[in-house]
Amino acid sequence: MTELAGRFMAIPDVLSASPIFAIGLTLSAFFAGNWLFARLGKPLWMPPVVLSAVMLAAVIAVLSLDYVRYQQGALWITVLLGPATVALGIPLYQQIHHIRAMWKPIVVTLPLAATMAAVYAVVIAWAMGATPEVLASLAPKSVTAPIAIGITEQLGGSVPLMMGGLLITGVVAALFVDLLAQWLKIDDERIVGFALGLNGHAIGTARAFEISHTAGAFASLGMGLTGVFTALILPLVFRL
Amino acid sequence: MLRGFLILVLFFLFGEALRLVFLIPVSGGVLGMILMTLTLMLRGRVSDALASASQALISVLVLLIMPGVVGVFFMASQFSGQWLAVSAALLLGTFLSVLTTLLLMKQVVRLSARSRTND
Repeated sequence: MTELAGRFMAIPDVLSASPIFAIGLTLSAFFAGNWLFARLGKPLWMPPVVLSAVMLAAVIAVLSLDYVRYQQGALWITVLLGPATVALGIPLYQQIHHIRAMWKPIVVTLPLAATMAAVYAVVIAWAMGATPEVLASLAPKSVTAPIAIGITEQLGGSVPLMMGGLLITGVVAALFVDLLAQWLKIDDERIVGFALGLNGHAIGTARAFEISHTAGAFASLGMGLTGVFTALILPLVFRL
Repeated sequence: MLRGFLILVLFFLFGEALRLVFLIPVSGGVLGMILMTLTLMLRGRVSDALASASQALISVLVLLIMPGVVGVFFMASQFSGQWLAVSAALLLGTFLSVLTTLLLMKQVVRLSARSRTND
């Protein structure tokens, strides 16, 4: 009987040697997070990605799996971020007529606002004594994840820390845009959507699609342009 | 859909190759995305296979970033002592950048609307 129990206890250890275990865990957490999000009434401050990540971390901790080993298995999922980034070019192309119609305000606002999104965070963290590694992890905080991972790796930051920062930024950006747009009496959905995508990447864009289709289109646009602009500018700035 | 996925993978690989050859400080994915947008603008349309493959990938973006996000729970000690700086940078920084974006955009839209009525 103890032999059977011993073999039972060894299950996580043996199975986790194969990538399919990490894939199964990640997929389960993804669907569980979405389910719980719907059950909680889709709260703005608690997006599904937070719920999924917390559950996944809890399972890894409870089964006392090695995080590094999990991540090696999950590489089968994360390598898809490359083609997924390329895929963002398709909605960008589909919204090209929106860019043409609003090109002046976009051209003026985007470089300044996207730069400031990084500068505010880096300057505040630097003033409070953060290390260069932390600064490099915070700089791409408003950029959509697949692009931000590339930027952070190039700048020599920590990807897990950057991911955490990205998550918090997306959630609070969605809240702040709602509050400040009301306070500044801005009801132009194009402006609200653009601000959501520019500051809050994918999480802000998801929020914008809840407001209206126009807001969503401008959010994807803001997200895509901020990603490209920041990816081109940040590595050059950090080199100086 | 697999055909569309192949196109995405090829653009990504091409982007990576460009980055390596010309030492461009931007990830291969971003270069691939720019090339994809430019190619589509030249062609003037998106094939069904490409559209469905890209939609499928974009709809599971959260799944793709999750293994990275989870890492934040397993590095608590590594950045101890910097959490206050990090939280302040994220909260205050995001507040300021949202405010900047909204004010800028509001001003510029108003100005360009005014110049249009003056024309």
